[in-house]
Amino acid sequence: MSYGIGFRLEPEGRTGFAHLFEHMMFEGTPVAPKGTLDKVIEGGGGNNNGDTRYDFTEYIETAPVSALDPILWIEADRMKTLDFSPANLENQRKVVEEEVRVNVLNQPYGLFFAIDLPGLAFDTYPNKHNFYGDFKDLDAARIEDVEKFYNQYYSPNNAVLAIVGDVNAAEVFARVEKYFGPVPARAAPPRANVEEKPQTAERRSVQTDQLANLPALAVGYRMPPRRSHDAVVAAVVGELLHNGQASRLYQSLVKEKQKAVSVDGGLNWPLGNPFEYNGPTLLVSFVVAPENTQEDALLAAYDDVIADLGRRGPDAAELDRIKAKMRSDWYDQLEVPIQRASTLSHAVLFDGNADRVGSIPDEIAAVTADDIRKFAAQYLVKADRSIIWRVPASKPGDRK
Amino acid sequence: MKRKFGAVAAALVLALAALAADKQSLPKDLPAYGPIKQLAAPHVTEVKLDNGLTVWLVPEAGFPKVAFTLAVRGGYTADPKDRPGFADLIAATVTQGTRNRSAKQVAEDLEAAGGDLSGNATPDSILIETSVLSSKAAAALEVFADTMQQATFADQEVAIAKSNLSSALQANEAEPSFLGRRALYHALFGEHPYAITSPTEESISKTTAAVLRTEYARRFRPDRTLLIAVGDFSEQNLLATVRASFAAWKSGGEAAPIETTKPASLVSKAIVYVPRANSVQTALYLGTLGPNRSAPDYAAARIGNALYGGMFGSRLVNNIREDKGYTYSPGARLTLNRETGVLVTRADVRNAVTGASFNEITYELNRMATTAPETEEVERAKRFALGSLALQLQSRAAVARQLANLWIDSLPPEELALQGQKIENVTPQDVQAASRKYFPAWRMTVVAVGEEQVIKDELAPFGLEFQKAP
Repeated sequence: MSYGIGFRLEPEGRTGFAHLFEHMMFEGTPVAPKGTLDKVIEGGGGNNNGDTRYDFTEYIETAPVSALDPILWIEADRMKTLDFSPANLENQRKVVEEEVRVNVLNQPYGLFFAIDLPGLAFDTYPNKHNFYGDFKDLDAARIEDVEKFYNQYYSPNNAVLAIVGDVNAAEVFARVEKYFGPVPARAAPPRANVEEKPQTAERRSVQTDQLANLPALAVGYRMPPRRSHDAVVAAVVGELLHNGQASRLYQSLVKEKQKAVSVDGGLNWPLGNPFEYNGPTLLVSFVVAPENTQEDALLAAYDDVIADLGRRGPDAAELDRIKAKMRSDWYDQLEVPIQRASTLSHAVLFDGNADRVGSIPDEIAAVTADDIRKFAAQYLVKADRSIIWRVPASKPGDRK
Repeated sequence: MKRKFGAVAAALVLALAALAADKQSLPKDLPAYGPIKQLAAPHVTEVKLDNGLTVWLVPEAGFPKVAFTLAVRGGYTADPKDRPGFADLIAATVTQGTRNRSAKQVAEDLEAAGGDLSGNATPDSILIETSVLSSKAAAALEVFADTMQQATFADQEVAIAKSNLSSALQANEAEPSFLGRRALYHALFGEHPYAITSPTEESISKTTAAVLRTEYARRFRPDRTLLIAVGDFSEQNLLATVRASFAAWKSGGEAAPIETTKPASLVSKAIVYVPRANSVQTALYLGTLGPNRSAPDYAAARIGNALYGGMFGSRLVNNIREDKGYTYSPGARLTLNRETGVLVTRADVRNAVTGASFNEITYELNRMATTAPETEEVERAKRFALGSLALQLQSRAAVARQLANLWIDSLPPEELALQGQKIENVTPQDVQAASRKYFPAWRMTVVAVGEEQVIKDELAPFGLEFQKAP
């Protein structure tokens, strides 16, 4: 069940709220108190989770078909109303703050390539704020905020339900009608403008890391709008640069020049695949380097790779290889039913059409070497990028 | 941004017992669970080549892909005494070039097939895995075969791999999870090779291309290898390719010893701590040896673990997360090695509740050991475990990995189906007996990763000694 709300549209002064709210969706309703949902789903042989991203929040359940009816019932139940409990909000605020600690504050690199890089690259609140939330904002959240957010965004008309498995479509539609049909639609707020003014110059920042042992570089290039041919080219470029041991950055930085230990990245990385977002996004590279690496030396090697792509583009064999890899990866993404359901629901949210999922391999196949060369020359330019260099703080007892 | 820590969604049921639902605590309008569909475990065709290579094939319709796993017996268990974690070095370099292909060509040939070749060491094995397009399966197999028979361990590639593994070790030493696991396994297993979780700086620097070539011959042998293919392929055609590309593979010279003993159960009476400056949480690990897959109480321990801390609706999660808000990431796992299981409870808790969290964890452990579980929670945990078995069969790569694990443990593929029956047969009395045996808090070796002073202040009231991890 994907709702068309993510952290991009969460209110100012409430950073992290869309995700904190996601936790509140598991805290019970007047008829199914806290704990019921897990009992029903796990007791049905299944499991469940929630996930908040820039432009959607999804609630996923997977179980043997025998649990379909109770799962539909309980998913519909939390679309009607919630148990807006201040005590449960207090509890989940603590849980979310521990989540921020375990994933950000107590981790080397602290997701700086996902949190701080958009903060540097973008200028407006929706795109630049810390989606995990500043503690002062999380602490400021009130149960009234939870109720308001729910009423604004958690309506059936802002949701897409996808069901994949050993089921009969007509029967499932009838059941969904039975459980969800009575839930009334609610007026959704007008969509805020999330556009950015064009970037005019390269942005650079240096950070110190109290926990990491090795320096790391994050680079983010602003990307063309999602619904364009260039956005598909961007996806291919992201994979050419980052996907696997045959990728350009891995081969050049890790193998040939040995300036890097690992290379990650891509379009809309790391918070989704290259097709599931609905607003300004970046093509990101995250490179961990051996100790004592100098930023300039690493960046020069990185720039050689980017410049070559803009000058010559890929040859035919390289392009064929990456297309095969992307087709293969796309099938992997769709193989497990819950992942297929998730992907389908996002396509309906962002493209209005589940068929997009089936056409993506063909859209990728249509990208030419010339498309890639032109794209790299136009978009992978210094004036459109932001760079953070993160270096370990020197610590007593450092291994040198 | 996820509700659960490291949760992997996947979905099956061999036979879910009809459920007397716990109607009192559930909403009155909640519909009942439907009838159970019987679901068979995948059928495996086994072929043995003359050179001893075992081949397990699982053809199934669906997406046009094939998942391959090559499992080689002997992982950290086969490492020379003075080079713990050597298996990581051989796993990282065996894919980096052959007599016929440079490292780059290996990567490119796999990419052209839609895959990426990765080698990983485990305590009892080395696994090499990929997942490729069906139309390119034969080409991918040839690269696999080449890698298994003709790897060169070129000096330049070995130098790069050593340097990267050394840097990766440095990077990992900043992670609480890496530090905690390393300290726990060291304390639990002592001199036994199951203590190894990674190579050391010394074992990396001692490794040379010559040593890798020698060990390759001693360890990568057809009679110690299983090739698994799961996915959309013709059994006959794939088998012909397997024969053509692997038949010439011969075992040469002396084989490396891989057998290991059943480890003794070590219990540290001290809290083993790993100082980590600037930590805002303490990462707590409580671990003990548990049953392996063949043990008679394996299924009961698995159910006990699920209701203690394996499910989201478990006692531990309800207590220290959903009630007290001490942690986002509590959980308990039963990890399986060939000779033993390892039961580990983990929670990352903010510094100020380190002691309070430890108190609740030990309370829940001792409650498992001393009181009978509720029938409802045992039934729920059984259905959860059965469903999990089913869910894990939905991905070809996951099926291949599970089959590899069974083979490494000398179990037949039919064990996939038997596991479901064993879970179904578990009674609340079985769970209680297994919990009494495995869950008492005194059995646990305790590891804490974080600020040294926080750990010592917070855990002082428990009266245990403190011992700094080596």
